[in-house]
Amino acid sequence: MASQRKSKGRQKIEMAKMSKESNLLVTFSKRRSGLFKKASELSTLCGVEVAIIVFSPGKKVFSFGHPCVEMIIDRFFTRNPQMNSGIEHHFMEAHRNASVRDLNMQLTQVLNQLEAEKKRGELINQVKKASQTQCWWETPIEELGLQQLELLKAALKELKQNIAKQANKLMIEASNPAPFLGVNSNIGGVIGFENNGTGFNPNGQNFGYGHGFF
Amino acid sequence: MTRKKVKLAFITNDSARKATFKKRKKGLMKKVSELSTLCGIDACAIVYSPYDPQPEIWPSPLGVQRVLAQFKRMPEMEQCKKMVNQESFLRQRIVKAKEQLKKQQKDNREKEVTQIMFQSLTGHGLQNLNMIDLNDLGWLVDHNLKEIHNRQEALKERAVSQVARAEADRMVQSTVNVTPEKAPTAFDATVENMQRQQWFMELMNSNEQMNFGGDDMMLPFGDNNPNSSWSNSFFPWDK
Repeated sequence: MASQRKSKGRQKIEMAKMSKESNLLVTFSKRRSGLFKKASELSTLCGVEVAIIVFSPGKKVFSFGHPCVEMIIDRFFTRNPQMNSGIEHHFMEAHRNASVRDLNMQLTQVLNQLEAEKKRGELINQVKKASQTQCWWETPIEELGLQQLELLKAALKELKQNIAKQANKLMIEASNPAPFLGVNSNIGGVIGFENNGTGFNPNGQNFGYGHGFF
Repeated sequence: MTRKKVKLAFITNDSARKATFKKRKKGLMKKVSELSTLCGIDACAIVYSPYDPQPEIWPSPLGVQRVLAQFKRMPEMEQCKKMVNQESFLRQRIVKAKEQLKKQQKDNREKEVTQIMFQSLTGHGLQNLNMIDLNDLGWLVDHNLKEIHNRQEALKERAVSQVARAEADRMVQSTVNVTPEKAPTAFDATVENMQRQQWFMELMNSNEQMNFGGDDMMLPFGDNNPNSSWSNSFFPWDK
């Protein structure tokens, strides 16, 4: 199976109005988004005031402004470089900045989590690719022959039964712990209970009474 | 270009901040310019810094005035519709990022359970799995059985109709292509719980043998030999 490239990757692009409208619209959407992102980063990192106004191909207007678009426009048109110095203004600014700081932290956190998950995904893909070469049953179903399908079907059916058995076993263990736990009827106080002591479930399945199975 | 990850916070070091400002401001102006050229649209940028009383702007003082005038001419509602400030913009980004995260986690989970399924087929026991794993695994097994069934039906159809071979093939193609798309809802959190319980209750009711005999969960896919002789006692078919 040929590797699936989702796009051609970064290509050098000619600086002229794009000829294909569909491409133009997509480009506008992506680049406008990226532009605002850059403006946002600039104002965060350097603590500066920024305003960007962009008209779309469809004549709609998009704008980004920090602290806000209106204020920057006003400032631009005011000859007098007299800045707001009232206490109220400073208070609002401080409040706003704290809020922005907070949001930036939140965003960073989510982005980090996303990156971690992506890496995890790549790892899983690697493992998958490696084992696909070893085990024919890991090949996509569309590529299997009739005999292989039958074999796989049978194996899966058996697995299904085993899963049901195991699940049933777990459920029973969860609801009938008494003979294995000991004399006290205080099942609620399982905190500090060590599974190793029982010796009947060597894999240390925590029964977790705090959080039920269903 | 340096590819160090930059922390999204005010740069406290004065010289570093000034250097960053210079670079990024230049980059920002370039990006506005490119956007305007590539898409043939009007745009402007205004940046106030502590280093200069006059703002840095694009395209030009006159150009900025023109765009601002154009902006002001629009009805108030249109102006505000797509207007964002730092707060609203960041909130939007957070929402989008969370969506991407959720999707990625879902995909990863699906791949993970698939791995578990294949491992279980080669003899890895099911003892290490908790109820959630078992449920997800059961669902996936069922899903795969359905796909196999569909595939087998499709192949049978193809074999049967010799006369309208071309027609059948085209039909098969579209059938086979449609099926996989049904997959996604499997691990959708909102429907998940309901489906889990449902699936499980169904399975409990339909199961013939429930002997809790051994812990031995050994399954027929004993060795990893891809084309090995499948003629062990489990399989009734002749090879």
